[in-house]
Amino acid sequence: MEVVSISNLSKIFNTGKDNEVEALREIDLTVTKGEFIALIGPSGCGKSTMLRLIGGLIPITSGELSVNGKTPTKAREERDYGMAFQSAGLLEWRTARKNIELPLELMGWSKAERIKRANEMLELVQLGEFARSRPAELSGGMQQRVAIGRALSFNPALLLMDEPFGALDEMTREHMQDQLLDICHKTESTVIFVTHSIPEAVFLSTRVVVMSPRPGQISSIVETNLRAGDNTADNTKIRNDERFYKKVTEVREALYGK
Amino acid sequence: MGNELTRFSTWLSTALKWLAPLIFGVLMVTVWEVLLLVINPENFLLPRPSEIFSELIDDLSKISDDRSKIWAATKTTGFIMITGLFWGIVWGVATALLVTLSRAANETLTPIAVAINAIPIIAVAPLFNNWLGLTSPRSNQMVVMMLVFFPIFITTARGLTQVDSQQIELMNSYAASKWKILRSVRIPNALPFFFTALKLVAPLSIIAAIVVEYFGGSQNSLGALITASASFADYSKAWSVVVAGSIMGMGLYFVALTAEKITLARDRSPRLLLIAWQKITGRTTGA
Repeated sequence: MEVVSISNLSKIFNTGKDNEVEALREIDLTVTKGEFIALIGPSGCGKSTMLRLIGGLIPITSGELSVNGKTPTKAREERDYGMAFQSAGLLEWRTARKNIELPLELMGWSKAERIKRANEMLELVQLGEFARSRPAELSGGMQQRVAIGRALSFNPALLLMDEPFGALDEMTREHMQDQLLDICHKTESTVIFVTHSIPEAVFLSTRVVVMSPRPGQISSIVETNLRAGDNTADNTKIRNDERFYKKVTEVREALYGK
Repeated sequence: MGNELTRFSTWLSTALKWLAPLIFGVLMVTVWEVLLLVINPENFLLPRPSEIFSELIDDLSKISDDRSKIWAATKTTGFIMITGLFWGIVWGVATALLVTLSRAANETLTPIAVAINAIPIIAVAPLFNNWLGLTSPRSNQMVVMMLVFFPIFITTARGLTQVDSQQIELMNSYAASKWKILRSVRIPNALPFFFTALKLVAPLSIIAAIVVEYFGGSQNSLGALITASASFADYSKAWSVVVAGSIMGMGLYFVALTAEKITLARDRSPRLLLIAWQKITGRTTGA
């Protein structure tokens, strides 16, 4: 089943002005249900722009783009996806639980339902005892986990993530990667994940989409899928596996255009 | 043992926080008193604190039979200050909301507001008196209101607009309406800004209210009482009126401070002000 379908998509900012920028050129990509797509490429190649286009946050310039068979705007209005950014973007005056409740509030859930779901999400991201803490009292990694709990709170079938672990240290990052995979398997989510890290892209994804410098184009797609559908696979084993290093090399070569 | 020690040191630091400025204040007043007594006991231009306070107490003791001039004047000026402050806040906040929600309003109203702010408002008080009646409270209220309006407007507007762009993007990803974004992100973000402005304009409003009374308005006001006392060389009276004005200004500042503390303490919801109000008045209307 196609979740995201992109064909011949281009995006130009400030068309016709002095500061015109061609961000994306002729992108073709189809994402099916349950896939984990990692988007990787040099800075400024339009990865984040692509995510925002899929999210319907900015309009496309030309080409076709549909999310769950709808226009991105319609999909956004029907809350088909959850989004997470590099910085957690929590509301500092709300507690962790209240931050997770935010999208649910907007969707008109009752208070009891909201609290129940927010508590479940806090358990999921292993922050159960921090429900009443404010963002300032949490570490960067914990804030990021709250943000992921918030993105998942309303059970979106599609997750758009823009370098969500970019600001984390290596240990927290690996821990978060394991948790994210676990959550995605439990919820059967489809994920589009922007990252700067080649090992992260390889470890998480089923496919790595490698992009060229601006104007962003898809230069190659590397099939990774190290778990091959086995969700119980040992993450440490995968990280140490020879196939993992082979795929890392493959993505690196694709990235540097060897 | 250790626990009690901690509790004692907490108590001590709280006590010191209040005691230090209190002791310093008393010391300053004492120095003023003693210095004048030593240097020039016959001084008449600058009365001693004891004279000022006895004048104040003497006047206020007449409240019961309604002959206290300072109390009557405080009520008149206080009314003008509170109403002027209230309408200044209402218009300031309303304009800030308007320019936040509408780009056209922002482009039209902000330059006008800036231009109005450039007018030396107290200097036009005599003109207001001519328009709205020399003894009417209207012109004085107008001056206070205009003085309060601008800091409230510009600061609140900044708080409403200076929001993390990622938070707005996030709200957009939830397809949140303009109103929901206002309610959930912009207003909570603006509250600390608003209270900073409020703490600034609260004492300013008492200054404005008294100064405009030098030009007109009720003859039964703090400003009029100061001018009258000064022209009769009754300086301890004039100073006791100044003290009354200061007390009012401080009281207002503490009200603003308390409102800020209550609102920002929890989830920055103005709802808390309502709850506090219900607690004070003992009313328990539904939330």
